[in-house]
Order: sequence, then structure tokens, then C-alpha cells
Amino acid sequence: MEAMDVDQEKKILHRKQSRYINMDEIFFAEKEPYRGQQYSQIYFARLHFLRTLLYSLVPNWKPHLPVCTILGLEEGKECIIVGTLYKHMKLKPVILDEYSKERSATPLFKPHNFRHPDDYLVLEDDSGRVKLDGGALLPPVYVTGVVVALLGKETGAGSFLVQDFLEAGLPPQIEKPLKPSEDKYVVFISHISAGSSASNPLLFQLFVDHITGHLGDEKEQRLEAEIVHVVIAGNSVEIPRGLLNGQNLASKDLSRLSEPIKELDIMLTQIAAGVSMDIMPGPNDPANFSLPQQPLHRCLFPGSAAYNTFNSCTNPHFFELDNIRFLGTAGQNIEDLEKYSEAKDKLEFMERTLRWRHLAPSAPNTLGCYPYTDRDPFLLESCPHVYFVGNQDKYETRLLNGSEGQVVRLICIPKFSETGIAIALNLRNLECHALSFEVQFSS
Amino acid sequence: MNNGVGKKRPAAQQPSPVQEKHHATMEEEELDEDVFLDETLIDEESSILHDIEERRALARRLAKWARPPLSQSYSSQSQSIVFQQLEIDYIVGESSKDLLLNRTGPAAIIRIFGVTREGHSVCCHVHGFEPYFYIGCPSGMGPDDISHFHQSLERKMKETNRNNKVAQCIRRVELVQKRSIMYYQQQDYRPFLKIVVALPTMVATCRGILDRGMQIDGLGMQSFLTYESNVLFALRFMIDCNVVGGNWIEVPAGKYRSKVKNLSYCQLEFDCLYTDLISHIPEGEFSKMAPFRILSFDIECAGRKGLFPEPTHDPVIQVANLVTLQGENQPFVRNIMTLKSCSPIVGVDVMSFDSEREVLLAWRDFIREVDPDIIIGYNICKFDLPYLIQRAEALGITEFPILGRIRSSRVRVKDTTFSSRQYGTRESKEVTIEGRLQFDLLQAMQREYKLSSYSLNSVSAHFLGEQKEDVHHSIISDLQNGNAETRRRLAVYCLKDAYLPQRLLDKLMFIYNYVEMGRVTGGSEQGTFEGATVLEARAGFYEKPIATLDFASLYPSIMMAYNLCYCTLVTPEDFHKYNLPPECVNKTPSGEIFVKPELQKGILPEILEELLAARKRAKADLKEAKDPFEKAVLDGRQLALKISANSVYGFTGATVGQLPCIEISSSVTSYGRQMIEHTKKLVEEKFTVPGGYQHNAEVIYGDTDSVMVQFGVSTVEEAMNLGREAAQYISSTFIQPIKLEFEKIYYPYLLISKKRYAGLFWTNAAKFDKMDTKGIETVRRDNCLLVKNLVTECLHKILIDRDIPGAVQYVKNTISDLLMNRLDLSLLVITKGLTKTGDSYDVKAAHVELAERMRKRDAATAPNVGDRVPYVIIKAAKGSKAYEKSEDPIYVLENNIPIDPQYYLENQISKPLLRIFEPILKNASKELLQGSHTRSISISTPSNSGIMKFAKKQLTCIGCKALISGNDRTLCSHCKGREAELYCKAVDNLSELETLFGRLWTQCQECQGSLHQDVLCTSRDCPIFYRRKKAQKDMAEAKLQLERWNY
Repeated sequence: MEAMDVDQEKKILHRKQSRYINMDEIFFAEKEPYRGQQYSQIYFARLHFLRTLLYSLVPNWKPHLPVCTILGLEEGKECIIVGTLYKHMKLKPVILDEYSKERSATPLFKPHNFRHPDDYLVLEDDSGRVKLDGGALLPPVYVTGVVVALLGKETGAGSFLVQDFLEAGLPPQIEKPLKPSEDKYVVFISHISAGSSASNPLLFQLFVDHITGHLGDEKEQRLEAEIVHVVIAGNSVEIPRGLLNGQNLASKDLSRLSEPIKELDIMLTQIAAGVSMDIMPGPNDPANFSLPQQPLHRCLFPGSAAYNTFNSCTNPHFFELDNIRFLGTAGQNIEDLEKYSEAKDKLEFMERTLRWRHLAPSAPNTLGCYPYTDRDPFLLESCPHVYFVGNQDKYETRLLNGSEGQVVRLICIPKFSETGIAIALNLRNLECHALSFEVQFSS
Repeated sequence: MNNGVGKKRPAAQQPSPVQEKHHATMEEEELDEDVFLDETLIDEESSILHDIEERRALARRLAKWARPPLSQSYSSQSQSIVFQQLEIDYIVGESSKDLLLNRTGPAAIIRIFGVTREGHSVCCHVHGFEPYFYIGCPSGMGPDDISHFHQSLERKMKETNRNNKVAQCIRRVELVQKRSIMYYQQQDYRPFLKIVVALPTMVATCRGILDRGMQIDGLGMQSFLTYESNVLFALRFMIDCNVVGGNWIEVPAGKYRSKVKNLSYCQLEFDCLYTDLISHIPEGEFSKMAPFRILSFDIECAGRKGLFPEPTHDPVIQVANLVTLQGENQPFVRNIMTLKSCSPIVGVDVMSFDSEREVLLAWRDFIREVDPDIIIGYNICKFDLPYLIQRAEALGITEFPILGRIRSSRVRVKDTTFSSRQYGTRESKEVTIEGRLQFDLLQAMQREYKLSSYSLNSVSAHFLGEQKEDVHHSIISDLQNGNAETRRRLAVYCLKDAYLPQRLLDKLMFIYNYVEMGRVTGGSEQGTFEGATVLEARAGFYEKPIATLDFASLYPSIMMAYNLCYCTLVTPEDFHKYNLPPECVNKTPSGEIFVKPELQKGILPEILEELLAARKRAKADLKEAKDPFEKAVLDGRQLALKISANSVYGFTGATVGQLPCIEISSSVTSYGRQMIEHTKKLVEEKFTVPGGYQHNAEVIYGDTDSVMVQFGVSTVEEAMNLGREAAQYISSTFIQPIKLEFEKIYYPYLLISKKRYAGLFWTNAAKFDKMDTKGIETVRRDNCLLVKNLVTECLHKILIDRDIPGAVQYVKNTISDLLMNRLDLSLLVITKGLTKTGDSYDVKAAHVELAERMRKRDAATAPNVGDRVPYVIIKAAKGSKAYEKSEDPIYVLENNIPIDPQYYLENQISKPLLRIFEPILKNASKELLQGSHTRSISISTPSNSGIMKFAKKQLTCIGCKALISGNDRTLCSHCKGREAELYCKAVDNLSELETLFGRLWTQCQECQGSLHQDVLCTSRDCPIFYRRKKAQKDMAEAKLQLERWNY
């Protein structure tokens, strides 16, 4: 490629290649219309899938105990029930309040997190609900929408005393390909936020130049040539939303609206010209709100979309590189878990979604989601090798080992516009490291 | 809660306390009505036993809820019985021969129902108390004359009551020394005749005879003025025995005899003499509550399509019951009785039956076994209870209505009408269940709170902060006809309806407040009064602190200070006759004369002193109290005392009260007016620049008992100091105990007119307490939500943000949104209750017309009488009448019918807005309602109108609306270059709708309490009902629109 022959006198560096398969179809919702359907079906589909799975695990977990439906509970009888958790939360914001509450004189305190010590869990199956008691299942850990199996018994007060619980666990993983002998890198970046007052366009230009091999000496360029794929995990632009208030816009304002996108397109054209790249929509991008977010429209990128290396993807995004499976989101699923539950770090939230076998359990309850009628696309049927989330405050990573030999690389991709950090992952060993960019003004 | 007073049987007109208030305004006088005790118990007893035999399983299920068994000391009668009484009535029966040796013939027996501390039910028969009244004794009547008088009265009575079996109607005539309360009299006591009759009804008969006059030997034809002949028998008993509503009564061991044969289902049933009763003052241990059993229930009926359920046709399909012990926060019984199978519900005892007869009888057995003291529910008095009884009647289940505590008596439904000035004539159904109080939360709500809607849904949203799922009655039959699962769905809904009244009862402390009210007032409760405005309001927006000086309990204080009472009032004739020295009397500003306390202390002032002292005590105790129940009791008490103190003035003014006295009430108000004027004068004289103050004070408004002063200072703290100073200074010029208090500052203060104002309320200089509004459209029934939101937001901006331009801009934006058809439809919905069908309305009303039209469209979902009809005003042909322009909001949404923004602008929002802005803005009307923001108007195109059927749809450019053709699907060639921008706009619109869609529909799932079932709720009272519907529709459209980009 032309971009690579930076040093003609010496030796032409060739960018390494890898086999890329996009597997986003499961997240396509373009053909899914709104026909007046509600959210009950997606819960039903989720419960149906996970219940079948949990039932198959019960004989190994508690071989001699009967399995009941919630309605079949009898007081004092020990049994196993499977259902969807519902977390009753005192502080959960209620849309009704915006309509019915008297406007209070003092502005409402908006907490970052809606947890409260009085929160409690309820288990629901398609027959009914029961309130959960006992310390085995901790309310701070769970959110509405998670499917679990519980061992316990009904108490006199009509609640269920939980003694033990079982989660679906990590899904099975396709075997990793034989250890490749050469290093190949995938670079992750998120929250470029072109057009935002906080972002520095030079920083991103620096990143682009690095990817395309316009920076550094030969040693460095050799490394740069090992980048086989770039993933942009959401929030690439920040469009001035103040302009979009439902009023008719003056054409002057309209063009201000598209300025950041044009800027982004120019940069993306440079990347796409050099390396295959995926762009995922995020909460700030000009895309729909509900998960799964549909690919950013090609008309937004008249320059870059012309390259066949440019892939506009869904969020969540699912793909394969050299038989290694990647799954990632722009961060909404983890951000929502953080609002309604607690964990020691973001990676733990990620780990939980894998164990629950559900990418976004809090959808649709607190996380916007398309009302699917026949399936739940967020169910995890197989375990990815790499699981990433974008738009996080800081870079974190860990290798997760499952009980059946699964190995998953978890990555929190930090916000690029704030940290200047992108992440490079080596396909050979799933090791990853940060690429840090910095711009200093000497004026 | 019934305070146990004035209960008449069986036609008790006021069985529930909810109507108690109407006592005072009832046009008709109340009369006792005797009920003769039927000693022969009906066969029901045996048939019930037989029934129970048959359904032993059910009986066993119910038995575990029975009351605790009696201890040995009770059954051996060796223990005093102490119980809290809940209801007092009387029956006519044979006096107990054991207790009253020389009494024969029928007599009135007082019956007291109550509960002991251990939770035993009590039915106490009190013997020996006799009905009586007084007449003035004609002068010169000696003992012989009295006996003659007695005989002729007896004869007259016999003539009127021919078929009476009573041997002697007039038991005794006694000469007593008493005094009338009316007018100041110099001699203390004068002779009265106390006439004791055999039965309570004879009081009225006898009074009739005496009113008309009778021939008396030696005196000729004479008519008599009767005294205290309008006091009902049960109340008479309570007064004479010092029994007040809900207090504790003790019958010492040895002073009662257990019944040989129980007439009631109570655990402790006994006879005693009224002289042996000990009535405990509700203090200390006796201010607590017995563990009453409170049953909260709700029924579901399967109505026919389009019709409100009628007991002659439509079956009762479910009855949900919750029983709670007073003082506990969880019900100890939760069950539901269903017709046909119903899937289990966790924590609830589901009892399913194959026939309606079994459902009804199961409920009866349940009532018997659980034995509730108080029955509560929502609209039970007018709907659920009458329905059950009439349904049983229609099905011919004669053994059903034995629901009371008396074995022999059946509950019946009576149609009653009552008229009052306040409420007009109302027809209603009424059910009396002996020994069990009914407390209908709907009636309590209607009486105690002003709300825009009284549906259980909006009441629970208001007080409990949660919406209730509302299943439209047209779906109920479908759910019933489904399977065990759908019936379970219905059962969950029914249980919730039974649970909410209990939660409202707890939350609003109704039990405490009513019992305390009963204890303080002895039962009757009087309406409050409307005071007069005294000083004209100087409308304006005041940006300097306004101090409010309040008279503490003004009217009671005036009555105390000037000794105003019936017995201190001197008629002008008497004034001359007695030749009273002027320094011994007060002449009131209205010209009446009252003697000063030195000469004769008034009774009313004395009562008031006691009430206010008691309130002070209760408030002091409240501060000390730690236990929440004790707190609730004390708070209820101090509130009741306050209301009572104020009502003392009230009943002197009421024209149909027990003792109206216009001289007193007009004197009170005239003094009140004088005091306000006096205050104004003093403030404006003293607080002046010449008087050494920084500014001249100005009184801007004076209400019934408060004066608003602008001292001219600019900080809250300075205004507070001056306010305190003024209050102290002016108080010193009044007679004790009239006292002016400084309480609060309004800053800023928007005074619109008398009784209409808004301001920030400060009681400390650091931070305001709240925003206080009065008489402003923040809550009104017939306004749409838009008005409320607009007014609230404007006040917020004006008063709190101090941003008048911001408020103006907000109004303009909202008006522009309205005209541009960008407003949420739910903000425009107006709701009115449908009380009668179309024909019976004289004037055509929008909501009635609409109901009629909806019935033609679909009778099944059209609103029925009793429903509230929501509607919006739509654009209609020129010259259409206002009532023709109403339309169902759902229909409007579904068919894109344009609303009439002009109507909302002119008839809904303009007046309230101008009221607020006129004191603030010049040319408010021009500025707000006619600016450039009103120029642009957008009207949606209806999708169902005739002309649209002929219109050909053609794609237009998303950017410029130009028609496009050929290969272009999205944009015209001109707009192609702006593709990215236009796409951003479209996708942003979609994403906003998605956000809303998700939040709305998950909220409804939350509300219905299930994730796996579809939301069925059709509660039109819910603020998001229309939003949710609209979100669904908008979403579908926006999605299609966006798909045009994917060519």
C-alpha cells in the first residue's frame, strides 16, 4: 500500500493482513418494525432460553431437589426455582414524577448511582412473583433482568428464603486457533468526540498518523505495519445537540450540525485508506438510541465510506479476526450496570455479564432497547475471546478464565479525547498495551 | 369512623363517619326510630350450621383466623371487662329482670360494641337508661298539678299510639331546677319539668303533643316549649355517662351478667346497668387503640359489554380481602375468593368456587369467622356492599346477608336521599352492618381533600406516589372467561384494589384522626367557616419582604376576650329591664350587648379555654412523645381540638345547626374586622420615617385573621425583626387572650387579588421554606394539565429564579409549541365526570355529547354514567358549537385529528396567565398572547377525513418538502448536498422517541408488577397513558421515515 512505503530507499514495509468476518447480523434491527409490541416478549424469550439452560445444570448442582414454578411453591418445602430477577429500587428515577410531582422549590438531587440499602430482589417467572429474602443473593450485585436459579423455601410471610443460587456461567468458547507465530495488532479507540470543545483535533491526527505509519523511525513503523485492524468503539463525534430542539433550523445552524462529521470523515478517510476499520455508534453519535444501535449511515461519511476497508457496524459489535472472536459495546451496558448495582471495578461488571450470559441484562428495564418479539439478541451463546467496552474513564484489562477452559480478554477502552489513550491487542497472545498520545503546545 | 353517636337503627342515616359532617347541615331533623328486638331467632342459625357442615374444608381454612380464645378469668366472670367502644346503638327489648327488679314491659337497651385489649369482641347491653327531655314548668304548678299533668299527657300519648303495647308511656314527670342557656338571666335557676318516657321514639310524639298544646286543669289550653328533645337517645346516653367516641369503657367484675343465650357473635356478651359503667378519660393507657380488626375488601363483577354492572344481571366473580390488626403494618389475612379456578398467588390464600352462590357464602363465612370491627374499601358504601347484597337477593340466597354481629338480623340495602345546602340532593344506597363500622375511603377523600380526580388510581398516585394498573371493565369479562391464568391476573388486580385503601388509611392516619375527633367532640363534627376579607388587596408584585401578622385562633380568642355566649347575651329589653350598669357590659361593633365575665362567665368561652388548654397540652406532649403510635394519637388530638375550637364559632353561625345564634356570630366577625382595621392603623401610624424607622410601613392586604405588611426593608431578617416588634406592640393593645403573632415572611410576593396570591414562604432568614400559593390554578378539576404546568413553572421562574424575562419566554415558547402542534396531547386532556346520560342534561355539555358519540362508535368502551370522560377540543367546521368540538384523545391520536389551539389559548391558558402577569408586566395580554410567537401555526392533517381518501400520496423531499419523483426516494437534487445534516436531524428525532418509548413502557411494566406479561392498563387518569400510546405510534412513523434513507 502506498501509505506504507514511507522509506523507499530502505525496504518497503507491508502491512500484515488478517481474515475479518463481520457477524453483526444478529444485531440488525432495520427490518424490525414497531407494531405496538411491548417488552414482555423479550423477557419471555430471555427466560425461555436461560431457563432451559439452567434446568440442564440443576442435576449437577443440586441433584435431589425438586424444581418448581413460583406458583408451585409450598410453604417450608425446599426447592429450586428459576426466573428473572426484578430489583425494587427506592431511588430509581420514575418518569411519572416528571409528569405528576409538584415541582419542588429546591432542585432535585441527581445521584450518579441509584442504589439504596432498602433495595430488594424479587424473582419472577411466567407464573408469578415472589419476594426474595436471606443473605445468599445480594441485592447490590444484581439488576432487573438477570435470570438465575435459586435454592430455598417459601416462608410464612410469602417470601422465598434463598439458601443458594446458580448463574448460567460463562458460555462455551470455540477453540482458539493454533498459536499464530507472528504478532498482529488490533487497535481500539473510543470517544474521539470530534467537534467537542474538549477534544483536540491534533491528538486524533497524531493517532491517525501513527496508524497509517507516518510517524516514527523504521522500528516503530515496523510495529505500525503489524496493525491489521482498527475498531472505533463509539462516540466518534459530538454534535451540538442544543441545535436539535425540535424547532426548524436555519440552514446556517444545519451546517454547523454537520461540521464535526465532516471533520471526522476526513480523518477516517486517512485510516480507511491504510487499514481495515470498524466504526461503531455510541450514545453521542448520530444514531438511534436503543440498543442494538444500528450502523452509522454511510451518507454521513461520503469520503471514507468509499473504501471497502470501511465497515460501519452495530453496537454491540460482533466479529472475527483470524478465528478470534471479538464482542464489544460502546459502553452503555456497563454504564447502566454501574448506576443500578455495584462492583469493585468495571471489569467485574463485564465479567458478570458473561456469567449471566447476557450482554445487557438491564435492557429494556433501565437501558433503552428495541422491543424484540421472538428473540433476545443480547443472550450470549458462545464466549468471545476478546470482550471490550468503549468510553470508559480509564484503561483496565484482565484475563478471565472460565471453568471450562474459556479464556477471555476483558478490555475497558478509555475515552480518547480525555486520556489520549488507544489500546493495542496482540492477536498472537491476546496481550494488550496502551498507546498513549500527547500534544504539547510550546507557544 | 363512627364515633358511636346518633346511631339509629335500622334506618341509620349516618352509618359512616364520612357523612357525619352533614349532621349540621341536614335540613331534616333526625329522629330516633325504635327497633323491637325479635327474641325468636330465625332459622338461619341452623341452616348456616348445615352449610358449614357441607363445606367443612372451607370452615377449617377460615378457622385459623378466629379471634383469640377467652381466658379462664373471662369465662368465669371474675375479671372486669375493659374495652374500647366503637359503636353505640339501642334496641327495644325486655329489661333484664335480674338487674332491674321492678321494671316490666319493653324498654330501650343501649348496645355497645367494642374490642378488649386482648382482641376479644364485646357486645354490652346496658339497661336502665331512660329517654327524657325538659319543658319549662308553668308558674304556679304544684306537685298535685304535676301528677294531673302526667295523667293527661299519658292519655294523650295513648291516643296517638293506639297500637302500642307499652303499659305506661310517660314513666315519670319530675320537677327539677335548671336554667336555660339562652340569654343572660339574673336569677340562677328556675323550675323545669323533666319528662321521662318509655321509649326513645316517644320523645318526638310527646314533643308534638306539647308543641300543639293541651288542656290542663286550672291552666286551660297551653303549649310548651321543649328543651333537649332533639338529642338522640344514644347521644343522650353518651352525654350523661361521659362516653366519648372511641373511648375505653370498663364494667367491673360482678357488675355484669353474661347472656344465657347470645344474641350476637361477640365473644363477650353481657348485661349491665348504666350506672355501673366506668368511662375512662382517653389519657395515658386509655389513649391507646385496641387491636381492631380492619377488613379491606374489593369485589369484581363481570359486566356486559358497554354496560355498568348491575346486580340483577352481572355476577360477582372475585372478592379480595385483607385483614389488618390496628397498629400493625402488615395484613395478617390475605385471600381472594374467585368464581371458577384461579392460579395460585404467592402469599395469598386463593379460594376458588364453581358457583357464585359458593363465593358469596364463603365471603359471609369469612366475615363471620374473622369478625372485623371495621370494614373499609374504596366506594364500598355505594357500590361493593350494596352490590353483594342485591346480588345475593337476585340469586335468591336468603342466608347470605347475615353479615352483622347480631345473629337474627339481616343486612338490607336502603335507598336514601339526603339534601344539604352544600351538596344538593343526592341519592345513595346504604347498607348498615350491625356492630361493624364502615369506612369508605372514597367518601373520606372527597370530604377531606380537594383533588382533581378521586379515582383510586389518582388518589394513590397522589398520596402513595404510585400509579395503579387500571383494567377497563370491558376487559374484566374477557379475563374471567379465559383460563385460570387470566383469572389470576384479575385477582392480582383485585387484591391491589383491596390493599390500597388499607395503605391510604395507614398513610393518612384516618383511624387516629377520627377516633381523636370523636374523643374531643363527643362525636359531632362541625364544618369550618369562611371568613370575611377585611382589607382590599393591593395587587402587585412585591420584591421586598412582606411580613405576615396572624391572629392566633382569632375567633375563639374574641369569644373569650369579650365573653360572647348564649348565656351572656342581653336583649335590648332585658338591658333596660335589668338596668345593667354600662361598665358591666360590652357592646359589640355589630350592636349586640353581652355581659362581662364578672357578672356572668359564659359557657362557650369556658369551653374554648378548656379546648385551647387541652390543645396546648397535647402539643406539648406531642413534642415529648417518642412512640409513633402515641404521636399519631396526640397529633390527631391536637388537630381535632383545633377544629373543635374553630367550630364553636361555626355552629353559632350555621342557620340549621343545633344552636344557631346570629348575635354571637355577627359580633365575632365584626370584632374580627375591627381588629384587622385597628392593626392596619397602628402599623401605619407607628412604623414611619417620622417615627424613627427607615421606611414607611404599608399594609397591602388583610385577610380573615392576618395582615400583610411591607415594612420597606429589603432583607428578610430586618422584616422579621420589625414583624416581631409590631406583633408584640399591637398585641399589648388588645384584651387577653387576643394575640397577634408574627409567623412568616413572604418574599417575593405576588398578590393578585383577595384570596389569590403566591409567594416564597420564610420562617427563618437563612432559607425559604417553600413556595406558597393560594387560589391560583395549580390544582383545579376542569383545567387541563397544560394550565397547571404553565402556572407552576411561571411561578417558579418568577418567585424562585427571579427571572421574569425567563418566565415570559417560557410562556411564549409554550404558546408557540401549542400553535405548532408540538405539545404532548396528555397536557391538553380535560376530564369531566359523567353523572347522567345525554337526555337528562338541560344544556349540552362537551363531555356528554362525546360520550354519546363514543357510544355510537363502540358501545363496549364508551364511558358510562359515573365514569370520568377525558376529552380534547378539536378543530371543527366554522360555526360549530363548543360542545361539538370535543373528542376522545385516543381517537385523536389514532386519526391525527387536529386540535384547536385557539380554544386552548383563549379558554384555558389566557386567564390564569394574565392573572399572574398583569401585576408584573405592562400590556401583559399583548406581550404574551399576541406576539410574533403566535404567528406560525401548524395543523396536522387528519388521516380519516373524507377528502384524504381521494388524495394521492406522493413522496416529498425530507429537506424542503418539494415533491420528488423518479429515482429519488429521500431528497430532491437541491437538498442532496445537505444529506448528512438532514440525516442527523432525522436520526436524532428517532433516538429521542426511542428514549421516551423505553422509559414509558418499562414504567408501565413496573406499575403492573410483571415483566413477562403485556401491559393491559387503561387508566386514563395516569399522566403517561396518552404519552405511552403516542410513543408507540410516533415510533412506528419515525422508523418508517428513517427507512427512507436506506435506499
